[in-house]
Amino acid sequence: MAEPAYTVASDSETTGEDKSSSAFPEIAIGIDVGTSKCSVAVWNGSEVELLKNTRNQKMMRSYVTFKDDIPSGGVSNQLSHEHEMLSGAAIFNMKRLIGRVDTDPVVHSSKSLPFLVQTLDIGVRPFIAALVNNVWRSTTPEEVLAIFLVELKAMAEVQLKRPIRNVVLTIPVSFSRFQVTRIERACAMAGLHVLRLMPEPTAVALLYAQQQQQAVNENIGGASEKIALILNMGAGYCDVAVAATAGGVSQIKALAGSTVGGEDILQNMMRHLLPDSEILFSNHGINEIKSMGLLRVATQDAIYKLSSQTSVQIDVDLGNELKICKVVDREEFEEVNRKVFEKCESLIIQCLHDAKVETKDVADIIAVGGCSYIPKIRNLVMSICKRQELYKGMNPLEAAVCGAALEGAVASGISDPFGSLDLLTIQVTPLAIGIRVEENNFVPIIPRNTTMPTRKELAFTTVRDNQTEVLIVVYEGEGEKVGKNHLLGYFKIMGIPPAPKGLPEINVCMDIDASNVLRVLAGVVLPGSRHPAIPVMEVRMPTVDDGHGWCAEALDRTYGSALDLVTVQKKI
Amino acid sequence: MISISTSTSFSRAHFVSPKVSPNSIKSRSSLRISAACTSTAERPTTGSHTAPTSSLYEVLGIQAGATCQEIKAAYRRLARVVHPDVATNGQRGQTSAGDQFMKVHEAYATLSDPEKRADYDRVLYSRRPTVSFSSLGRSMCTDTIASRFAGYTRRKWETDQCW
Repeated sequence: MAEPAYTVASDSETTGEDKSSSAFPEIAIGIDVGTSKCSVAVWNGSEVELLKNTRNQKMMRSYVTFKDDIPSGGVSNQLSHEHEMLSGAAIFNMKRLIGRVDTDPVVHSSKSLPFLVQTLDIGVRPFIAALVNNVWRSTTPEEVLAIFLVELKAMAEVQLKRPIRNVVLTIPVSFSRFQVTRIERACAMAGLHVLRLMPEPTAVALLYAQQQQQAVNENIGGASEKIALILNMGAGYCDVAVAATAGGVSQIKALAGSTVGGEDILQNMMRHLLPDSEILFSNHGINEIKSMGLLRVATQDAIYKLSSQTSVQIDVDLGNELKICKVVDREEFEEVNRKVFEKCESLIIQCLHDAKVETKDVADIIAVGGCSYIPKIRNLVMSICKRQELYKGMNPLEAAVCGAALEGAVASGISDPFGSLDLLTIQVTPLAIGIRVEENNFVPIIPRNTTMPTRKELAFTTVRDNQTEVLIVVYEGEGEKVGKNHLLGYFKIMGIPPAPKGLPEINVCMDIDASNVLRVLAGVVLPGSRHPAIPVMEVRMPTVDDGHGWCAEALDRTYGSALDLVTVQKKI
Repeated sequence: MISISTSTSFSRAHFVSPKVSPNSIKSRSSLRISAACTSTAERPTTGSHTAPTSSLYEVLGIQAGATCQEIKAAYRRLARVVHPDVATNGQRGQTSAGDQFMKVHEAYATLSDPEKRADYDRVLYSRRPTVSFSSLGRSMCTDTIASRFAGYTRRKWETDQCW
């Protein structure tokens, strides 16, 4: 096997030192790595500019092909045909796979992709492999992403004629902190330093904030607050944000997101066209992969056409005497994907509710991402907000990367004489963070949509007399039971002075600082004392590595409820 | 008390603050460990010491009769100054930037919610001049409750990222 084509950032950087002290700070580039497509943009001194690859494309396919031991990605590689991507040699949709374990339904739904996604269903990372000369060559989503980022980096370096190190990346709202560390890891493997990770709709919100501010500057109108509802739906994820904007400040009021997108729509349609497709393709033979590729391309094509026409004729020969000849109309398409659309609807409603915003107060509705071309998506967001039209000021495919580039310039300390970079985003936590208490219940300490930075504290106590140890297990998510949430880490508090149950006060404090670093602190106080009985524990999270599925199970098996704790009932 | 406190949260200072000499930074992977130590005396006093002396209106720099619009405007104006994303630019005050922003946001969160504001006003007017924050709900004054941790939370050294 050849060496991987990425470079891992070295421990002692020899090149970075003199450059960073230069009078002109390096402007971080913005990257939007989508599930299906990817783009790069940078502030060029007066505006945001999207970079193009050698084939003059602004949107590049997010995939990496493994061929003859040399991987190459969608930035530089020219596919002879769409089907080459579906031959088994190309890995794509890595954004749906990164940081997930093999018990995750999203991983399971990826098993119908032409490359190999193998699951053992025990809570470890899935086995992912590309077919190279009839050999399944294993890789990881991080590696694939890193290879892809290396290509993006090289492309940007050629065009900007300078080394690129700092980036602002957009991520889905529903990413757990563990998944975020995987993205950071991939960036580090590619030699990139992540300056910020922005939830995708907040990048769009920043672009909106800039546009509003420019509009105000131009006709000197009142800088009144404008509330925008942003729906960003691509191939992999559907994200919603409500942002209040005035004077270049984009205050995120609420976020909501889910792993639902164009890929689900595509798979639903494939299943609709060929009901037993999954069983048919499950053994990943060469012929099956080919058939599946043909079906995928034909289905995708049909979905695109249904955005502009009301019905479409699908005519595809899958080989092995399998032929599909069918007319699908838009109603049928919407019925097949009803659950997807319902999910979008519920995310929008939830986000408006969390933001405490009435639909009449929404000034603009922004729908971006590839799925925003689907008439049903546009209609549902307009009907929820009782409006007739959507915001027209941005390109739906470029909005997120433009926002990321703006943030890149702002975070690099660049200022603009015309005030175009006089911007600030006030972010919120996309998911609640809390700990496990008695009976596997989840108690949030930092609720979702809490403005960051933040610090919150909650008091807990022991469940047994003379309990000297408690286990602090930290989760992120919205489930009432911990099993539904992402495990971030755990630690044990030992040496609690023996006392009747319910007496020791165990304070758990969670702190998210300006760099979005989460720290969990836990201290024990006995009644009548102002000082901690034992040294306070401070743990930076997430601490879990792979296999958080069985980590939680192992904890449960080993300790059961012996080291549980409960919330203190507040005396009112 | 924890005596080591580096100058800043790692990421932005390296790229933005001109005062941080790159020579004082030893890079390990993508994260920075800034070696500059400030003494504990320089660390800002925690909110619990200052909060009871100023009302939430004073935190936002507005009149007690301010309208909802004025509250929002004041919040945004202050955010542009004290938000850590902005405050790191050029100055060394980042140790307090997060805390300051949290204080401003807490004031805004209370005053922009009509119910919470009414509750707060009731307490504020009945107890003045000795405002007892302990009688308020904890949501209004997390500073006081979090103060027990205040000596520990804002530690400013960065260890390597855990992968």
